[in-house]
Amino acid sequence: MNSEPTTLLQGTLDLLILKSLLAGEMHGLGISRRIQQITGGTFVVKPGSLFPALHRMEEEGWISSFWGDSENNRRAKYYRLTKPGRKQLETETKRWGRISWAIAQALEAS
Amino acid sequence: MPLFVKAQRFLRNLFSSRRMEMDLDEEVHAHLELLTEENIRAGMPTGEARRAAQIELGGIEQVKEQVREERLGNWLHSLLSDCRYGLRQLKKNPGATAVMVFTLALGIGATTAIFSVVYGVLLRPLPYTDANRIMAVFEVNSNGGWSHLANPNFDDFRDQNRSFQAITKYNSNIVSVSGASQPSRTMVAGVSPDFLKVFGVQPILGRDFTASDAKKGAGPTVLVSYGYWRQQLGSSLDFSQLHLKIDGAVYSVIGVLPDGFRFPADVDLWLPADLNGENPSRTAHNYYAVGRLRDGVTVDLANQDISAIARRIHDTSSEQGDYLLKDGIVLPLQDSITGKARPALLVLLGAVGFLLLVACANVANLLLAQTSVRERELAIRSALGAARGRLIRQFLTEAFLLSLVGGGLGVLGAFWGVAALVGLAPQNLPRLDSVSISIPVLVFAFLLSTAVATGLGAFTAARATSGDLRKGLEEGGRGQAGSQGSQRVGRAIVAAQIAITLVLVVGAGLLGRSLMKVLEVNPGFRVDKVIAMDVSLPWVEDPKAKAGQGIFFSRLIERLKQIPGVHKVGAATALPMEGGFPDGMFALITQNELPKTVDGFGPLLQQKERLGIADFCVATDGYFQALGIPLIRGRIFDERDGADAPHVAVISESLARDRWPNQDPIGHTIEFGNMDGDVRLLTIVGIVGDIHDYGLDAPPRPTVYVNLFQRPRSAITLTMLSDADTRLVTSSARGILQDLDAEIPAKFRTFSQVYSASLGSRRFNVILVGFFGITALLLATAGVFGVMAYSVSRRTREIGVRVALGAGSGDVLRMILSQGLRTIFIGVAIGIAGSLALTRTVESLLFGVTATDPLTFGGVTLLLVGAALLACFIPARRATKVDPMVALRYE
Repeated sequence: MNSEPTTLLQGTLDLLILKSLLAGEMHGLGISRRIQQITGGTFVVKPGSLFPALHRMEEEGWISSFWGDSENNRRAKYYRLTKPGRKQLETETKRWGRISWAIAQALEAS
Repeated sequence: MPLFVKAQRFLRNLFSSRRMEMDLDEEVHAHLELLTEENIRAGMPTGEARRAAQIELGGIEQVKEQVREERLGNWLHSLLSDCRYGLRQLKKNPGATAVMVFTLALGIGATTAIFSVVYGVLLRPLPYTDANRIMAVFEVNSNGGWSHLANPNFDDFRDQNRSFQAITKYNSNIVSVSGASQPSRTMVAGVSPDFLKVFGVQPILGRDFTASDAKKGAGPTVLVSYGYWRQQLGSSLDFSQLHLKIDGAVYSVIGVLPDGFRFPADVDLWLPADLNGENPSRTAHNYYAVGRLRDGVTVDLANQDISAIARRIHDTSSEQGDYLLKDGIVLPLQDSITGKARPALLVLLGAVGFLLLVACANVANLLLAQTSVRERELAIRSALGAARGRLIRQFLTEAFLLSLVGGGLGVLGAFWGVAALVGLAPQNLPRLDSVSISIPVLVFAFLLSTAVATGLGAFTAARATSGDLRKGLEEGGRGQAGSQGSQRVGRAIVAAQIAITLVLVVGAGLLGRSLMKVLEVNPGFRVDKVIAMDVSLPWVEDPKAKAGQGIFFSRLIERLKQIPGVHKVGAATALPMEGGFPDGMFALITQNELPKTVDGFGPLLQQKERLGIADFCVATDGYFQALGIPLIRGRIFDERDGADAPHVAVISESLARDRWPNQDPIGHTIEFGNMDGDVRLLTIVGIVGDIHDYGLDAPPRPTVYVNLFQRPRSAITLTMLSDADTRLVTSSARGILQDLDAEIPAKFRTFSQVYSASLGSRRFNVILVGFFGITALLLATAGVFGVMAYSVSRRTREIGVRVALGAGSGDVLRMILSQGLRTIFIGVAIGIAGSLALTRTVESLLFGVTATDPLTFGGVTLLLVGAALLACFIPARRATKVDPMVALRYE
């Protein structure tokens, strides 16, 4: 199971899920593929990491779920961003910006 | 997120778990379908697409388990399911479960019961406000021993100390009281006026003592206990009508103390001490003292303070000598009450703790045997996605279920056990009435069960989840993986069990041998067929009135002799084994040297070679006859020794030997007037045998006996040697006393009761430690048997092969036994080393044996090895019966 990217930094996976749901409601596989796409294939999120994260975030109230039909008329569980979720995305984005800036600074200083 | 949303989800997770599960299942399956579809679209054949999707998903059940782990309230949910699962596990092996629960109940119950005694006696605070601020004060005498306080010394402590906000002296006595609903012998305390202030107690009715109540010649006043007021005074509120005749004087009741206040123990009446004037001697130690520390004063500071005062008294007093105090000591009242009981109680607590360890070891071994059977189950659960932590939690849950059920049953048993302990406990164990299963004891039992559960759970979890769990599946489900390792652990447990049991049984053996040695001691007096009767007349000072009391007693004795079946009747101031007689210093003085005035004694008492120390006992001739104390030489008291004849004394053998070596003491005269105020010389007329009057385990004390009819006393104990039925004698004697004086109560008991009470604490310790030892021995034997039987059943196949290859049944027997013996010997070796280190703690409880008594060590080792070998022998015999054909087909 390749869960390395998600354990890389706490909260990274949450941020990526929130970010991908910004584009609209999506089912699990959709989110997984979207993350792959927007990270240029760097992060491949396996179901073993994705589903626990989705359920936890739903319990936190950042996303909500409903059953819908997929493109090929299959029943699938869809997730969408809630209002607290959008706020969380903002917070997380800012936090991530600070961290990556700090890390970049640290790495540039020689 | 708002709290209530979280709570809502928490409850949803908990209660709609079935719908949540279906939803999750559907979601994961849908995901799989989507993946498959995606693969098909990418051009894979259907079968391949499905397989690839499954690989990417990584196992439906595992994903679901991971989601569950993330859910809110998952811990509670999994706890509940762990419990359900655990219960099912335990039900699967009802026999083993019952044995484990019972073993734990025994261990936890016994420990709880003993702890309740330790808590009630040693730890529970005394029932007074800020009881830890109440201190006992003692004098320290020249040989370092503690003694009670003499009046002038107490007065100096009270007036000069800077440590106590209130300090009081007290003593207590059983005296005759009439004027209440019926005459009775009642425990009465004489106290100084600050007594109640020290304890922070106020009368619930009436008033406290004032300083004027304690003045010499003040109108006698008395405070009564709540119970006495209810039962003997009919709860009367009209104090002007309440008068009690105590020891001959009439006292007005001025107040009632709160329910439950009984200090010193069993007292019902409190009166001002010394209404007839204080004894001015600094060496007449008649009072206890207690004080309440001022705020901010520590025990250490108070000690320095009192010690300084005491040394000042020592340096300046005109009364020098061995009986004058040398120092003073302050210690918490609670320690002073319970100090003597502490070592034995701590030994009992240690012993029961060992029993608990042995019990836990048995349970651990049973659990261990079960886990090796469960390896396959563990492998499956782990393959289905259970994390290691989850499996550990499962074992902890099961251990908790076992321990809490066992602990609960144990506490129920402890209720019964405490009642039994209180019944069995020696009479002289202080604070026995505060022993009960109280809240702190229950908390203790709960914490103990929790600790046991954690220990057992951690142990089994560590054993079960060590190594690669999946091996259980690879081995084709033969359930053999790790069995070698777990058998080694099992044997180590058994060795530890044997070691602990050995320590316990050695302790029991040492205490038991001490009791036997004590019983071998010849007490020096007859124990059976003697009935004792306590009678006390009012205290009088006038010599004529005193003589009258002597005549009363001689008439009483003559009448008692007429009772059919009563052979001898005697009297003395106390019975042997009941706290002893007062001791003091006497002087060898001849009639010619006798000074004319009291001051003349001074120079004589400075001559060390004239002085001797002895117990002082006032008795009659019948006392020696009734108790069978033998006359060695000379004579005992007879008709010649009337009140006006020269006063005589009989001395004990050891006193004769030590004080008059190579000399005949008969005919010598001694002065012992400091004991009863009568300075007439005593002529020694006889020597009698020694008696162990402070208990069989204490050496006999040098004793001087004087004649009751020459030195009258108001309070005596009559001793009647009788063949008749005790109840008949008792009722006749009561009738005779009633006939002579209807206001005098009497108390009866048999001397054998007194005798066995003197052995009470020793017997208590032997019974308890013996019970713990035997129980531990049974548990350890069961432990050895279990491990050996398990090992043999595991090795059936191997044994079959050996037999098939030509091993005889003797070889098999030897192989199994030698394996067991190795374990036993390791345990015994550790046990002996441990015993040598630990039995020193019981040294103060031993008598006539050393803490390393070879006989006890040898006997116990043999007993233990024998029992353990027997436990090995049964499985070993079974091993020899293994049929190679059956064994090879086995499995």
